[in-house]
Amino acid sequence: MLWAYIYCYQLTLDSHNRATRRTAAHYQESCVGANHKGSSLPLSTPVVVYCSKINKIVQCNDIAKTEGIEIGHGLAQAAALCPYVHVLPFNEENERHMLTQLAHRLYPLASDIVLDSHACAGGLAIRLDNLTHYYGGHEPLWKTLTQALSESDVRYHFGCAWTIEAAKVLALQKYNTYVCTRDDIKKALNACPLSLTALAPKVIESLARVGITSVQQLLDMPVQELGRRFDNNTIMYLTALRGETFPRVTLFRPLERFDNFLLLPFDVENIQHLTPFVTQQLEHLSHYLRARNLYTSNVAIYIQFREAPPMNIEIQSALPQSSVKSWLPLFTLKIENLVLPEPATAVELKCHQFEEIDTHNGDFFSDRFNDVAQKQLIGRLNAKLGDKSTFQPRAANSHQFEYMTVTEPNVPEYAYACDTAPTFTFDVPTPLTQPTQICFGPLRLNSEWWHDRPTKRDYFIAQTPQSVRLLVFKDEESRWWVQGLFC
Amino acid sequence: MNKPLSVLNNHPHIWRAREQKQNETKFSLGFPRLDKALNGGVASTGLVRIASLTGVGELSLFKDVICQHRTHKLVVFINPPGRLQSPWLENLGLKTQQVLVVKTHTQQESLWAAEQCLKSTACHCVVLWSNTISQKEARRLQVAATHNDALCLLYTPVHRPLSSSSKQQNRPLSSAQASSDDALPITLDLYLQGTPHALSVNIRKQRHGWPKDNIVISHKWTPDNNAIKWAMTHNTLSDQALHSVS
Repeated sequence: MLWAYIYCYQLTLDSHNRATRRTAAHYQESCVGANHKGSSLPLSTPVVVYCSKINKIVQCNDIAKTEGIEIGHGLAQAAALCPYVHVLPFNEENERHMLTQLAHRLYPLASDIVLDSHACAGGLAIRLDNLTHYYGGHEPLWKTLTQALSESDVRYHFGCAWTIEAAKVLALQKYNTYVCTRDDIKKALNACPLSLTALAPKVIESLARVGITSVQQLLDMPVQELGRRFDNNTIMYLTALRGETFPRVTLFRPLERFDNFLLLPFDVENIQHLTPFVTQQLEHLSHYLRARNLYTSNVAIYIQFREAPPMNIEIQSALPQSSVKSWLPLFTLKIENLVLPEPATAVELKCHQFEEIDTHNGDFFSDRFNDVAQKQLIGRLNAKLGDKSTFQPRAANSHQFEYMTVTEPNVPEYAYACDTAPTFTFDVPTPLTQPTQICFGPLRLNSEWWHDRPTKRDYFIAQTPQSVRLLVFKDEESRWWVQGLFC
Repeated sequence: MNKPLSVLNNHPHIWRAREQKQNETKFSLGFPRLDKALNGGVASTGLVRIASLTGVGELSLFKDVICQHRTHKLVVFINPPGRLQSPWLENLGLKTQQVLVVKTHTQQESLWAAEQCLKSTACHCVVLWSNTISQKEARRLQVAATHNDALCLLYTPVHRPLSSSSKQQNRPLSSAQASSDDALPITLDLYLQGTPHALSVNIRKQRHGWPKDNIVISHKWTPDNNAIKWAMTHNTLSDQALHSVS
């Protein structure tokens, strides 16, 4: 077996850098940078990631390093060294999110991925030996993987060895060389200090007492010797490190739905300023859909805040689509009237329902484009005016003028012909106040017996002196009402 | 002196009313007198304004235009003055799948929706109810309609002098409005007036043609009692015979 361990040592920082660069580029493109630059950080700011649980700086960028800040410093020390340092909080949950996203990106390239996220940094282990067959050698395989990693813009150290445990030691050692022969791996492992292994500090101490300080000495010892001194877990780890046993691992399985989480590099107060971040997520979505030959007609965006409950924006499209170009206008229309209750800290894009691209229903008639255009139009109108603003009137199962037409889309089509139906009816009948002349009628309509208040109405079509034709009726108390218009 | 004038006369951008453009597609309205005054009917694209009271048969007048052309495309009703009834649409000859109703809250939204519909290329005809329209807005709709091969029917209320008491106060406003109304850059501007037995159509302005007033057409858009009346007047039987059962 051959495993590569990718040690991502600054995921939070990478994501922050990516988002900052992205916004800068976006605003340069759209030439409205001047008033937004204030909220976004320039790229030359020293940035550190601080973990409050252990009171240590866990990640810092190059500029912070030149200021003298190192990983492992406390917050006070960092602030003393560089008073204008920008501090990001470390969040394990977010870090795991980002690692999962990276795994999603790599999954199409490598099938066996193991997620390894622990307290302060995360890593991925990828099994290589079974893939070399498909890629035609070690070099093309590794080139493909590194290409994908550089596209996702993550800084990492890596190591390759016969088991995950051994590869991890090499990655922590920052070995960063691809080796695949047993001798090379052994040579590389021999140079590592014991402190990089996952052995408990107590075990390392007791080993040091008998004069074992490097991995080389440990590997040279016979197992029987070790078995007498250490517990089962340690022995299992050691045999794995030697490449003699292969512990069971849980392989990563990608989600069946799309879920992209993005931590914003700064608090966004204006909802319009979320557009560049959502564009980025929609790009991910379109890659995801393209790779799977899918479309979607439903996208949900969750905006998270520090205190307020998350805001959910559902975007429906009448036509299943996948491209950024078609989703972004819908998003911008949808958010036009929305206001954020408080500054947003993170955006999450979720997509649960997918539709297969059906290659059979495409025909070559002009109606095809018309159908697409109609659905796009309805999608646009609904996005701006609200979901209930467009409807198609349908005939309903009633002979009464007020119940003849329904606007809900999900009712069965009911063929109903009525010569005397008006063009428009009013929501409620109004008393007839004008002088009119009857030109059609009477037509007596009783309401259905199951209605609460049975009515009996004599309908007429009446004409005013201005020649406006009205649908009027006389109720049982001989009062006259106007119910509709004939246009 | 003569030469520059003739050069000017040959300029292709000068349009003369006497040279009727023949190649424009027109949709016939089905009323011979009106079609003749309109040089064959309503243009197939562009903005048409109809000023009338609601309920004088202003929609039924355009029955042939709305129902008989480009039937695979949508007919959109924006901001209608009531609940549109599907049996009436069936009677007119429109399938419900072909109809879309858009409800808006403000006039700006209506105009925006109309423009989107026209630009989408999915619509045959956009029927819009709006109280007023400015020159700029009319121009936008006109351009959107002509470029996308669609027709826009704009229904507006009648702007006419009010009662004599308020006439004096409103005169400057209404005259200013009238002048801006007249100058709308649209294909056709109609004013409909209902009389008890007929409909009078006034062409205020038409592209490539002259305005013409008071074209009276007999227009039936609702069922009437004529059949009963006819039966009553032609009845030769006595009352007794009518009620007898043999």
